Amino acid sequence: MAKTTKKTASGGRQAKIQAAAGSGGGGANRIVVAAAVVVVAIVAVVAGVVWTQVQREAEVGTSTATPAGAQMGEGYRAFADVELREGAPVVDVFEDFQCPACGQFEAAFGGPIEDLARDGRIELRYHILNFLDDTTGADYSTPAANGGFCAADQGAFQDFHDAAYAGQAREGVDLPQETLDGWAQEAGITGDDLDTWEQCVADGTYTRYVTSVNATAFEEEGVRGTPTVKSDGEEVDLSGVSTPEDLAEVLGATS
Amino acid sequence: MTTDVETERAVTAWYRSPRVLDVVGLLARLFLGGVLLWAGLAKVGKPLTSERAVQAYEIMPLGLAGWVGLALPFVEIVLGVLLVLGLFTRPVAVVSTLLMVAFVVGIAQAWARGLTIDCGCFGGGGQIGENETKYPQEIARDASFAAAGVWLWWRPRSLAALDRVLFRD
Repeated sequence: MAKTTKKTASGGRQAKIQAAAGSGGGGANRIVVAAAVVVVAIVAVVAGVVWTQVQREAEVGTSTATPAGAQMGEGYRAFADVELREGAPVVDVFEDFQCPACGQFEAAFGGPIEDLARDGRIELRYHILNFLDDTTGADYSTPAANGGFCAADQGAFQDFHDAAYAGQAREGVDLPQETLDGWAQEAGITGDDLDTWEQCVADGTYTRYVTSVNATAFEEEGVRGTPTVKSDGEEVDLSGVSTPEDLAEVLGATS
Repeated sequence: MTTDVETERAVTAWYRSPRVLDVVGLLARLFLGGVLLWAGLAKVGKPLTSERAVQAYEIMPLGLAGWVGLALPFVEIVLGVLLVLGLFTRPVAVVSTLLMVAFVVGIAQAWARGLTIDCGCFGGGGQIGENETKYPQEIARDASFAAAGVWLWWRPRSLAALDRVLFRD
């Protein structure tokens, strides 16, 4: 618009030509096109956001199942039948089955942490997250997490968890079905139990639960990435730890 | 035979010619538009990452930052498409420039406050290790995008723009 005015002011002839051509100087009506573009732009952004949310809801599914002893958003207590020693701290481990750093963490500290939990010296809670599926675009964390909690239905969470880290697949690539099934078999799930487990995983039985744990970890518990370890709510730095004794100490495990 | 003055005039005319300036405009449009399209498309379908990326700046309340994260990819795509088409170049360039300035301010405040985040400019984002931050590079990059926007703000006329076809200007 400003340009048209300038032209009119500077050249009388130009103005006459434009006047003869009628409003809009022979081109499309700028206001109408602008209004159309603004409407289309707003619709596109709103539709994009709505589509994203619908997509996400569909992925999360409708199953409201949670593993034994845990509510939505809460970690899963491992070795729940172990009697805790007095003053045993709550140790929260936040990990994603797809995360290579978690694989290294498990290789180094997984065994000793489990020993502490088995001896009742810590109350161990696993917060199994699935944010890496979103980051990498691969379908790995969520099916693996379902595999873990479907195994928990059969009392085999820990064995499945250990098998999934020992035989960790590549980050950023869809988890092959055979690999997932292999972890279940290593965890001792066979025959009819394996069929039940497979159906449980295929249904995404625990997807909503895992997604809720993921959201709680990042939005309420201040988790920034995985692996994260907390003892009685305080983040623990494992960088200088090399022996099981060091580990027990930094975790504040009871003796 | 040409005098020195005339030669000089011819040289000045080379880069001041509307044709050349129009080509610069086209390049600026394709550069900024392409970058916005790329940045937007890289984030589509990754709602969780997009939300976290904005939340990691710790400027807005978590809920609001989440919605900004969800909408931003589509805003970037719309701006990118309009720039590539050359439709309403000046207003779109103004909005895009302000967006880039906002990104620069966001990154700079994260840096100043000692946050350790990835800008999440082209997907990714969120908290990273202390020695993994790339604040100067990220700011320089966004500033170069802003420069293209400022050019189009100052001189929106460019080659092969829908503005010229539709509005004859």
